[in-house]
Amino acid sequence: MSENKFEAVSSIVDNDQQNDELFDEILNDSHLSATWQRYHLMGDVMRGETSDVINFDLSSQIASAIADEPTILAPHTSNNLVGKLKAKVVQFAKPFGQMAIAASAAGLMVMGVQQNSADTDALLPASQVVKTMPFGGVAEPVSLNFQQTSRSSEKQAFIEQQRRFQALLSDHQQQIKLSSVDVNHTSPQDKAEESAK
Amino acid sequence: MKLISSLLLLITISTSVAANENISTPVEANEDISTPIAANENEQAEPWLERLATSLQTLNFSTSFVVVKNNQAEPYHWFHGVDESGNELEILSLLNGPRRDVLRKDNIVSYIEPELPPYSVTSQQITGPIPAVLREGVTALGQTYDFISVGRSRVLGRPAQLIRIVSKDVYRYGHWLWLDQESGMLLKLALANRTGQLLEQIQFTHLDITDALGESLLQLQQTSLPKVIEIPAGYQEQVLQWQVKWLPDGFKRLNANRHRISTTKKPVEFMLFNDGLVDVSVYVNPSEDNQRATDYVMDGATVVLNQVVNGFEVSVVGKIPAKTAKAIADSVVLNTNSTP
Repeated sequence: MSENKFEAVSSIVDNDQQNDELFDEILNDSHLSATWQRYHLMGDVMRGETSDVINFDLSSQIASAIADEPTILAPHTSNNLVGKLKAKVVQFAKPFGQMAIAASAAGLMVMGVQQNSADTDALLPASQVVKTMPFGGVAEPVSLNFQQTSRSSEKQAFIEQQRRFQALLSDHQQQIKLSSVDVNHTSPQDKAEESAK
Repeated sequence: MKLISSLLLLITISTSVAANENISTPVEANEDISTPIAANENEQAEPWLERLATSLQTLNFSTSFVVVKNNQAEPYHWFHGVDESGNELEILSLLNGPRRDVLRKDNIVSYIEPELPPYSVTSQQITGPIPAVLREGVTALGQTYDFISVGRSRVLGRPAQLIRIVSKDVYRYGHWLWLDQESGMLLKLALANRTGQLLEQIQFTHLDITDALGESLLQLQQTSLPKVIEIPAGYQEQVLQWQVKWLPDGFKRLNANRHRISTTKKPVEFMLFNDGLVDVSVYVNPSEDNQRATDYVMDGATVVLNQVVNGFEVSVVGKIPAKTAKAIADSVVLNTNSTP
């Protein structure tokens, strides 16, 4: 192994020289390729690019992994399957897509109308999913003589109520988390501090 | 190959979701799950539930499930495993919306939520959509619930055993559990009222049981959890001005404290009760109104009930029928023994 071969490897590592012949030589010579690996590692360490754990023999692992890779016998049929499925999904999805556009356009119109009549809608929390119902009671009769002001205050009350319910629900979930705690771990000192408060 | 199979799975899920929507839209939450109860006398329900508890504690599993309520679906990932030193590792994450993760390393449970900075508590169980009691065994529930083995069906592509946990009185909902015949794992969970009307359900969409710990759990092993918050002894056993006079049998008080509700900053007297399977919270606080009629909302099976009587607001929250919540709220009285 001549000294200038190592030098050549070094120059390739430093991107100074491109030589296909030398590449082949490095690939076929285990000693040279080990040198190649070491030079790169040195470079990485000097530049501070190494990870905490250095895996020295990546190339042989990859080589053995490739050797272990099972041969896929029938990739052709599965490709076909995907193609067919895709075609079907597209067929299936297309009419829905068109419908969706029409529906959303209609939705926009409805939204627009609603926006004009009641701006307070926007105040409703977006995550609202719960629906209130009076407890065993009778629904209030709807009157045409209803004043606009009382209607908006009713809406305000409804929003207030929704907030209240949402707050209770999330507090309930929070308290369950804290109540499943083993309190035995607390020290007597904490107890003294708490009672001092 | 893997990509193709997951693509296939996706298609199956999306079509089945679409199909479900088609069915449920016109009926709206009137889905009936009452199947003829042909209780098999030879098949005992308790061993199935014991086996479920063992599986939940000892298996290395990676699963996904969807909580279906109010015509909405909340998808979760759930990983569990036991490491070489016998410590349990667990991850539960909500996959939609802002991040909500629960991490557990043995007896440290951490909650990562949008509302609060991450915190940990000392606890043996994570709090999530699946009742914690299922992993502890059901012997404690025997006082108030009956266990019935109903029969076999197919869930998540596996043969499953349907077990019902039925309340002995009329004040509670029933739980329906579909368990994997091979592993004893939970495949589906439903809450239904006494007429068999479905209120909330958890459907598992994928289940992998492995010998080794999964990638996420290995990562959790390397992660240091947020600081454990100490809950002062006595904080959960404060003497309150108000007390609850009536609760269904089997409910025990877990917590009694004064705190402020995090979103509204309103100070409340708070009590938490548990019958082993469900939690019920009772809140009492002074109100600006003098009287307000009883109102309630349902979030899946969870009722939030609220009323104002003589200037005091009483609220009850929990997975109980609205009638039970109303009776509990009506039974709240001033504690004559207390000296606040």
